[in-house]
Amino acid sequence: MSTNTTNSLSGVLCSFAFAGVITALMTAIFIVESQLLIAGVLLGTIGAIVISSKFGVTSIILKSLGENENLSNALAVLVTLALIVIFYDDHYVLFILCTILLYSVTVLGLNIQLGYAGLINFSGAAFFGVGGYTAAVLSQYHSIPPILTLVIGGIIAAIVGSILLLPILRTSGHYSALVTLAFALLFKVFLDVNDSLGGAQGVDVGSFTLFGWDFGNDITIGSYDVSFYVPYVLASLVMLCVVFFFVRRIERSWIGLCLDSVRIDEVSSSCFGINIVRWKIVAFTIGNFVAGLSGALYASILGYISPANFSFGDSLMFLSILLLGGIGNLWGTIIATAIVVVLPEKFQVIQEYRLFIYSTLVLLMIVYRPVGLLPRKTRTYRPGESS
Amino acid sequence: MSDSLLQCTGLTMHFGGLAALSDMSLHINKGEVLGLVGPNGSGKTTFFNVVSGIYKPTCGTVIFDGKDITSESPQAVYNHGISRTFQLSRLCLELSVFDNIMIGNHKRLSRGFISNIFSRRKFNEEYEDGLKRATHILTALNPELANRMFDVVSELPMIDRRRIEICRALISKPKLLFLDEPSAGMTHEETRQLMDEILNMGSYAKGLSIVLIEHEMNVIKRVTDRCVVFNFGQKLFEGTYSEVIADPAVQEAYLGKEVE
Repeated sequence: MSTNTTNSLSGVLCSFAFAGVITALMTAIFIVESQLLIAGVLLGTIGAIVISSKFGVTSIILKSLGENENLSNALAVLVTLALIVIFYDDHYVLFILCTILLYSVTVLGLNIQLGYAGLINFSGAAFFGVGGYTAAVLSQYHSIPPILTLVIGGIIAAIVGSILLLPILRTSGHYSALVTLAFALLFKVFLDVNDSLGGAQGVDVGSFTLFGWDFGNDITIGSYDVSFYVPYVLASLVMLCVVFFFVRRIERSWIGLCLDSVRIDEVSSSCFGINIVRWKIVAFTIGNFVAGLSGALYASILGYISPANFSFGDSLMFLSILLLGGIGNLWGTIIATAIVVVLPEKFQVIQEYRLFIYSTLVLLMIVYRPVGLLPRKTRTYRPGESS
Repeated sequence: MSDSLLQCTGLTMHFGGLAALSDMSLHINKGEVLGLVGPNGSGKTTFFNVVSGIYKPTCGTVIFDGKDITSESPQAVYNHGISRTFQLSRLCLELSVFDNIMIGNHKRLSRGFISNIFSRRKFNEEYEDGLKRATHILTALNPELANRMFDVVSELPMIDRRRIEICRALISKPKLLFLDEPSAGMTHEETRQLMDEILNMGSYAKGLSIVLIEHEMNVIKRVTDRCVVFNFGQKLFEGTYSEVIADPAVQEAYLGKEVE
C-alpha cells in the first residue's frame, strides 16, 4: 500500500486531465447531430489515440490510472455524473447512458463465466431477459420494493440457469457452448408462444416506486425540469459500481485463482484439490444472476419489453463486447460497451449494418489483437503491490 | 511392513483391450526415493495417474498411510498428502509464479464467499501466510527465482518452470511426491542441477518419499534408493540401481536379446 502514497502529483493531474478529455469527448459525441461531424470526431479520436501512443502518452496515462486505482474508480464515477448533469433534461442521451451501464453489468457477469471459468455462454441475452420478464411480472404487485424486484430477477435467472447446469457439466468446450446456444433460441420461442407473458407482442413493465415516489415521473428541482431517466441512470450507476466491486474482489481472491485454474487446466487443478464442478457451478450461477439483475432494471427503464429485446443477436453482441474489450479486463468491458452501444445509435448510416460491423470487428480483433483493446493484467491481490 | 507409506496390490488398468498396467504390486517406504524405469509405454505414467486418482483402476488396491485410497478422486488424494508434477509441464502459463504456487497451496486457502469477498481479514491473513510460504520454498529451491514472484510464468525458461512445478507440489508439505520425468525438455546439466536442488531442500525434503520416473540413468543412479523396472505394464525387476543394470532381463527389455 505504501506505493500509493508515493504516487506523483503529475500522475494524479494526468488522470484528472484524462477524465476531462473523456467527458468532453462523450459530450461532443452526444451533442453532434451531423453524420459528417460524428465521423470527424471519431476519426479525430482514433487519430489522437494513434499519435499519442506513438509518443508514449497512452502508456503514461494508463500507468497513472493504474497506479492509483481508487482515484481512477472515483474519476469514472465522476465522468458519468458529469454527463448526467450536462444532459439532465435529454431523455435520449440519458437512456443511452443507462444502456451502456447496464450492458456493462451483464458483460461483467459473462466475464465471470468466460473470462474466469472458461464457460462460454451464448444465451447472455436470455438470462438478461429472464430478469426483465421477472420485473414485468413483479411490477403488477406494487408492494414489492424495487431493489427486491431486481434481486428476485437475478435469482430467477440463476435458477433458470441451473436447468442448464447438468448438460453443461457433462459436456465441455464446444459442446457446452452449443447447449447455451440451444437455450438462447429456445427462450425466444418460449416467449413468442407464451400468451401469459404477452407472446410476441410483449408486456408492459411498471415503473419503479420507492416510498410512494414513482420513478416514471419527471422531477423539478428549482427551475430545472430534470428527466425522469436521471434516477434510473443513477440506479444503473450504483448497480455497475456494486457489480464491478464484486467482480474485482472475485478476481483478487482465492476464488478468482481457483476459477482461472479450472479454466486453464482441469486435470492439474483436480490434482491440487480444486473442485472443478463446484467452481463451474459457482461461476455460471453468479454470471446469470448478474445478467438477470441488470435485465430487471433495464426492463423497468424500457417500460415495455418483448421477445425481440432478448434475441440471439443480443447474446452475440454481449459476447462481442467481451472479446472487443479484452476478456478478463473489467475496464475494457466498459469501454467496449460504450463503443458498441453508442456507435450505431449516433452513426445512423451503420445502423442497418450493425450486425455486419460487429462481426467484422470481432473477426479483426481475433486476427490482429486477440487479447482485446485492454488486455487482462497479471493478477495482483492488492492494488499497488508487487513487481 | 511397518515403515511402508504406499502399498499397491494387484493394480490393473485396462483401456479397452489394452492392459496398460497388469497386476502391479509395489510399495514405497517412508523417506525413500524410488525410481520407476522402463521403456516408453510400459505403464509408468499410468501408474501415477491411477494412484493420483485421475484414472480409476480396473482392479487392485492402493493403501496410503494405512488408509485405502483406491478409486478416490484426485482432490481427495491431494488432501491425503500425495502431490505430483506432470511429464508435460502443466503450469498455468498466463498466471504469475505466485498464483501457480498458491494453486498447490489450495489445502490452506479458504474458499468461502464471506472471507474472500466481503470481510477480507481472513483472506489477508492467508495471503500473508501464502506469500511467506511461497518465498520460503522458492528460496529453499532457488533463491534467484524468489525475486520473480509476480512475473508471468510464460516468460520464464523451462528449468524455472520445472522449479515452480516442484514448489507447487511441495508447498502443501505432502508425504509423497510423484515426479514424472523432471528431465523432459532440459539438458543433462540442468537436470543434474534441478535434482541437487530438490534433494537439498532441507525441511521440505526431510522425511519426504519420492517416486521418480526418469529415462536419464545417471539421475536414477545418483538419487534413487531402489528401482522398479516396468515392461508391458508389469513389474520386470525390483532392486537397487546396480542390481537393475546387472540384470539380464532388464538389459533385454532395453537393448533387445543378445544374438547367439
